[in-house]
Amino acid sequence: MSNAAHRVLWTALALLLVAAGGVALALNLGLLPGVEPGDVILGAGLRRAWRLAAPWSALAAAAAGLLAAAGGLWLLRRELRAARGAWHGTLARPGRRGRTRLAAAPLARALERDLTGDPRVRRARVVLTGDPPRPDLWVRVEIAADARTAGLREHVGTAIRRYADTAGCRPAHLDVTARLDAPGPVHVAASGRIVPRETSWLRPGRRGSRGP
Amino acid sequence: MRTANRLATLLLAVALLAGGVLLAVEALLAAAGRPALLTDAGGWAATLGDTRWDDPAVRVSALVLLLVGLAVLVAELRRWSPQRLDAGDGWHLHRRSTERRLAAAAGSVPGVHRARVRVRRRGDHWWPRVVATGDPATRAEVEFAVRQELHRLTAYRPDRVEVRLSRRRAA
Repeated sequence: MSNAAHRVLWTALALLLVAAGGVALALNLGLLPGVEPGDVILGAGLRRAWRLAAPWSALAAAAAGLLAAAGGLWLLRRELRAARGAWHGTLARPGRRGRTRLAAAPLARALERDLTGDPRVRRARVVLTGDPPRPDLWVRVEIAADARTAGLREHVGTAIRRYADTAGCRPAHLDVTARLDAPGPVHVAASGRIVPRETSWLRPGRRGSRGP
Repeated sequence: MRTANRLATLLLAVALLAGGVLLAVEALLAAAGRPALLTDAGGWAATLGDTRWDDPAVRVSALVLLLVGLAVLVAELRRWSPQRLDAGDGWHLHRRSTERRLAAAAGSVPGVHRARVRVRRRGDHWWPRVVATGDPATRAEVEFAVRQELHRLTAYRPDRVEVRLSRRRAA
């Protein structure tokens, strides 16, 4: 599930909680007409109706339970699938006799392999969606902490061009997110100061020539 | 908040699954005239049948529901920090990792300790704000280090880099 879907789900649940709490508070304070604050929550009429409807009332409760369990299972599968990162997208194209849908996993994996060919890219994740000749390309690269990132855009651009030439397509939309690994091990400079490795050009000995 | 949402959804899914299965099993047993396995539905019905709407426990429960609902609503509707930062030409930087990287750059300036970086934004523009302990005279060096690191990472040049340096308290 996407972040937006989570947000919508929890906004709806929060509204339900607020509504339930508000109604219960109003009943407690006697603000709602038709129900006296001195009435019991589960009245005798309701219990009698439940008994009279037996066994259908119990079967209705069983059906409600099964629906809730199915909803829970659906949610759980969506969450676990997203956590496994198994989704590589689907390419789809409408034709005269229906719609052709193509699982994009093999194509996405090929581009992922090409991207990780550069040692600076520790991990790459590609999702392809849209029309096969003009796919939307969603790329996420994890950059090694001690890597210099100059030229990385060119590497990704070249990999995508190579992929487009091989697959015979032209990406309609490209979206790249770079995630930088946490700074790697530090080293001790000549002065005795601990300096993170990738910013070692800031060592005191070289500071004067690089200052603003 | 995104992680909290995912964890909460996982918990909700497990609760729905377990509760739904339990309800279905107990209801089917009740329909067949068999005794319940885990729940005491009769006891619950008796408790609810004895509890009045003006009971203090009902008021407390209603207030808890209302406050929890409002808290979740505010948390979901407020403006969240972006997960990634626009770096131009379809490129984006993961915000948290960028902040960590910039903090490392700022912290590597001699005389600076415990640097923290948070990205601020207005509209499409964003800029880093560095909060660190150290010699205020190193402010320009910290700003240079952060700008240099940003330059190495992307072509994006923020309009400004906020640097707040406070002197280290003597022990």
